Amino acid sequence: MSDITIGLLSFPALLVLIFLRVPIGLAMFLGGLVGLFVLTGDSTLAFARLKSETFTTFSSYSLSIIPMFLLMGHFATLGGMSQALFKAAESFLGHRKGGVAMAAVGACAGFGAICGSSLATAATMSRVALPELRRYGYSGGFSTATLAAGGTLGILIPPSIVLVIYAILTEQNIAKLFLAAFIPGILAAIGYMITISIYVRINPASAGTRPRVPYSERIKALLAVWPVLLVFAAVVGGIYQGWFTPTEGAAVGAFGTGLIAFLGGGLTRATLSESFFVTARSTAMIFFIVLGAAFYNGFLALTQLPQEAAAWVGGSGLSPWTVLIIILVFYLLLGCLMDSLSMILLTIPIFWPIVQELDFNLVSMVDLQSARLAEMIEDGKEIPAALLAEAQTMLANGQELTREMTREMKLRGVTEGALNRVNIERIAIWFGILVLIVVEVGLITPPVGMNLFVINAMDRKTPMVETYKAVLYFVGSDLVRVALLVAFPLITLILLPI
Amino acid sequence: MYKFMDRLARLFAILGGIVLSILIVQTCLSIIGRSISTILHSDLIETTFPTVSQTLLSTGVGPINGAFELVEAGMAFVIFAFLPLCQLAGAHASVDIFTSKLPNKANAILRTLIEIVFAFVIVVIAWELSQGMLSKQRTGQTTFILEFPVWWPYALSLVAAVASAIVAVYVAMMRVLELVSGRQILPAELEAEH
Repeated sequence: MSDITIGLLSFPALLVLIFLRVPIGLAMFLGGLVGLFVLTGDSTLAFARLKSETFTTFSSYSLSIIPMFLLMGHFATLGGMSQALFKAAESFLGHRKGGVAMAAVGACAGFGAICGSSLATAATMSRVALPELRRYGYSGGFSTATLAAGGTLGILIPPSIVLVIYAILTEQNIAKLFLAAFIPGILAAIGYMITISIYVRINPASAGTRPRVPYSERIKALLAVWPVLLVFAAVVGGIYQGWFTPTEGAAVGAFGTGLIAFLGGGLTRATLSESFFVTARSTAMIFFIVLGAAFYNGFLALTQLPQEAAAWVGGSGLSPWTVLIIILVFYLLLGCLMDSLSMILLTIPIFWPIVQELDFNLVSMVDLQSARLAEMIEDGKEIPAALLAEAQTMLANGQELTREMTREMKLRGVTEGALNRVNIERIAIWFGILVLIVVEVGLITPPVGMNLFVINAMDRKTPMVETYKAVLYFVGSDLVRVALLVAFPLITLILLPI
Repeated sequence: MYKFMDRLARLFAILGGIVLSILIVQTCLSIIGRSISTILHSDLIETTFPTVSQTLLSTGVGPINGAFELVEAGMAFVIFAFLPLCQLAGAHASVDIFTSKLPNKANAILRTLIEIVFAFVIVVIAWELSQGMLSKQRTGQTTFILEFPVWWPYALSLVAAVASAIVAVYVAMMRVLELVSGRQILPAELEAEH
């Protein structure tokens, strides 16, 4: 049996284990260990990796962002931020048709800005918003569907734990990925609000009305939200501005939300222990998956399967767009069954080498030269006026500058290699955001989407079928958004300088 | 027995939480120190208040030296310390859509098998960690900046890893006992957190 065959066979074997309810981390761990043994015929080698690899995985500086973000999310809840966000959104939107549901989506988006997990966002906001929705006569299925969908904003709007993992796997800049997720996240929130207004027009009986709130009270509600804004600005702004590393940003966020919770009286000995317990369970779960994935991916790399797959796809003559769409559909299907983190850890090591080779031509040489030239002008570098004028006209007409011109202007970073690097980075970021969204759509797709079960369990009176029916509208809105983001990569990439 | 295991797991989760909190505070202090030192080093302050700037800087205000080494060393303990509770609560992410259609008996057998394998894996992890620690001790390897022996954080992690192994073996044994005796020993599964 060739190495490639062993690698290929490991995939169905792994899926069988996972579908037999073997914890995903354990399944990957076993897959990696057994695979390595089959490959090398040497059991000591497989075990020897454990001597230091568990420790180095658990002590990774970039991964330490995860427990910090998780703790930050709990502190945020203890600090009453979910409550404050919903109150503020409700006072502005509540009187509209479907307004309380829109407020729930808005509050989810806001909470997503301080919480990196979709399930946590959905669960937290449900506790706050479900009773309100029911009080104002919103139907059960519509309410639960709204919250399940709103929860997916938690992972999209930065900071996001899954994006951190993706960044590590593809060796990309975390800050840039956070920034790129911003516009798609806002689009998602707007899309959901539009969906809600369409839904209540089609099903007028599904939503009641709520009286208008006077402006003085709206301002008061808005003022209560300042801690969220402060924490968000400090964490995401600080990371992006380069004031601190993402891990440091997470520490600042956890400290800030902890302080707010403490000052507000929400942080006591009992609630602190409880946040430790919840953080402990999720953290250990995530790290075990990361460990398993490290083992499995180490084995896969040894089989050469990722490179071979990339070469095969590259030589197959399929257009890059076809390949991309096939991969996204695959994620959508698998996303119905598996949580996003496990899926990304399991599949990105295979898919990323493939996608990396696809030529989407996101940045052309003209774009790159224009960007570098603009930087030179901004830095106040001297360029002969006549030459500059000629170069600018050429670029404006979509013409590449000649090598002589770039040399004469001392224009740097415009080689073919540099262009290739820029393109790969942009593909990585764009693909990452697309995958993240598609996986999240899986989370709310009936009949198996995991968020649906969690939210439905919080409202026992609503039959699952009602949630299914209503959530299809949101899935529809998601699919429209994915299509837009695929067709126009610039929506995702516009905030990122070339 | 369950009470003891529950206490052990919670104790380690709290210890892990405390270390995590310390790392968070330490990271924040390091950022503050770095910012102050940057401000004091700035041209404006150095030219207008040269003595103030000098005096303050001589107190050693600045980023905490080797802060990230401490984060790395501490984080390994945190994660290992979080593992027992996750193990006891059965909080590991899994896919149960297909198995939910199986009869109860089949599910019980499956669960027992999985817990046995899981316990075995965690025992192996703890064992190999101890071997790793011994080899780091032998070579006398130290960290780059703070120059503390690398085996120290290994030893700390090992304590928590052993606790994880004890809990994992306990859970596996109880599942076997449950299967044999047909009565429930561990509390019904918590709602899985994915």
